[in-house]
Amino acid sequence: MEPLRILGICCNWSPFACYNAAGMTGMSMPANFHLIRVMCIGRINQALILRAFEFGADGVILLECTDEDCRYGPGPEVGHENVHRVRRILHLLGIRQERLVERTFGAHEKEKLVQTLWNFTKEMEKLGPLMAKNGRKREAVKS
Amino acid sequence: MIVEMSLYQCLECGKCTASCPRRLSGKEYSPRLLAHKVISERQDEAYIENSVWECLTCGLCRERCPSGVDFNRFIMEMRALLADTKGLKGYRAHDGAIHSWMRMMTAPHLKQNRLDWLDPGIKVASSGDVAFFTGCAPYFNVFFAGIDVDTLSIARDSIRLLNFLDIKPVLLPNERCCGHDLLWSGDIENFEALCRLNYTSFKDAGVKEIIVSCPECFQVLSEHMPRIITGFDIRVTLLLDLLQREMQPGSTVFRPLKRKVTFQDPCRLGRMLNRYAGPRELLGLIPEMEFQEMEHSGRGALCCGNCGFINCDASSKQIQVQRLQEARATGADFLVTACPKCMIHLTCTIRDPLMHGKKIQMEIRDLVSVLADQIE
Repeated sequence: MEPLRILGICCNWSPFACYNAAGMTGMSMPANFHLIRVMCIGRINQALILRAFEFGADGVILLECTDEDCRYGPGPEVGHENVHRVRRILHLLGIRQERLVERTFGAHEKEKLVQTLWNFTKEMEKLGPLMAKNGRKREAVKS
Repeated sequence: MIVEMSLYQCLECGKCTASCPRRLSGKEYSPRLLAHKVISERQDEAYIENSVWECLTCGLCRERCPSGVDFNRFIMEMRALLADTKGLKGYRAHDGAIHSWMRMMTAPHLKQNRLDWLDPGIKVASSGDVAFFTGCAPYFNVFFAGIDVDTLSIARDSIRLLNFLDIKPVLLPNERCCGHDLLWSGDIENFEALCRLNYTSFKDAGVKEIIVSCPECFQVLSEHMPRIITGFDIRVTLLLDLLQREMQPGSTVFRPLKRKVTFQDPCRLGRMLNRYAGPRELLGLIPEMEFQEMEHSGRGALCCGNCGFINCDASSKQIQVQRLQEARATGADFLVTACPKCMIHLTCTIRDPLMHGKKIQMEIRDLVSVLADQIE
């Protein structure tokens, strides 16, 4: 079986600091986890999350700062709203809502972040590959 | 393609450009020049490419053209051609989220939960000959919750009207989007996939007739699907036609509504399907209702600013503001339209905080909702 594709969309600040620190100390991460780093999770909109699924992600996790920690203001709140809406669209499409989650981290919580990634990957492996994949990927990146 | 769409017949009179709402709202876009370039300056690829993605496909140029150039189909096929050779272009509104879920629907093993909205107030059958096509209404309802547009109410009211006519339609749990927006944005491959999946789901349910309330879905199901699927043998009925047939003056009694209304002709319903009188006759059946046409109406109606969710920009907004101002100038209490997209686009402008201060506030209701609320 082809390994599942897990996508993390990661805020540049606290969560990425955790990710970086985890990498520096050589903690092991799921091999099929791909990370996209953005300046703030508030930059991500519904379309980009949907597009991740359209292009073949089996699970998407948003790694955010805590609400009071955001360097720009309302970033994580925008994230909550988007996740809430996209989950409803996923539900309509018959995609399990567990495939899209958001988690918040403080800058020092590298163990928690790595543990979350492992848990999420395990969870996705339990669900198996996403059935609602577009077979014809005109726009999709070449794998 | 040039011959097929009668482009050589172009007299370069410029009526198309002079009437184009996109041009009039200040865009550097000219259907006449595009036709000229395609015929005799084909090396100017950059211009042709940009222009092809600019068009709103509202069809006003085709309406005005004295030589019968089929500009809409020309744009549609040019987009398909360009998308094939150069990739999908054109700015897709909402960052393409809508096209994204349409493409996701091409997955063959999808098990959607699209019928959660059904309530006991409306009667549907589990099997039968007649089905009602809900289209994207449940999806729009979630996606456009931010601007408070209730597209599901259109589906609900359509079924209420069908129930009133003693029709209990089947609702298909796994129908897909009709693919209108993919077709008009050049993504033929996925469009055809959606058509095939839809046809299979109609056939699996043993349906012989499909009733459609959205003019876009109707156009796709009745004109494009038979082109793609050989042996297409399902009757496609537009809800408005059915209502017009069944609700003759005298046979149906509506409760009176003492309001003044005006009507926005959707481009797909009017200019493409030639249904101008139907909606007006139906509104005329409601006693005490006063009807006032807008400055641009019928064949010359203005576009709601956007089609197929591509090209939404400041110029679209300007068209929408103009349209809403025209509607308000009629003194109508509310604006009636017959297409969920018109409703979404115009509501979006009404709710736009940047439009604050422009006198465009107005209630917008779908024709079927107006009728359904007045049946006894």
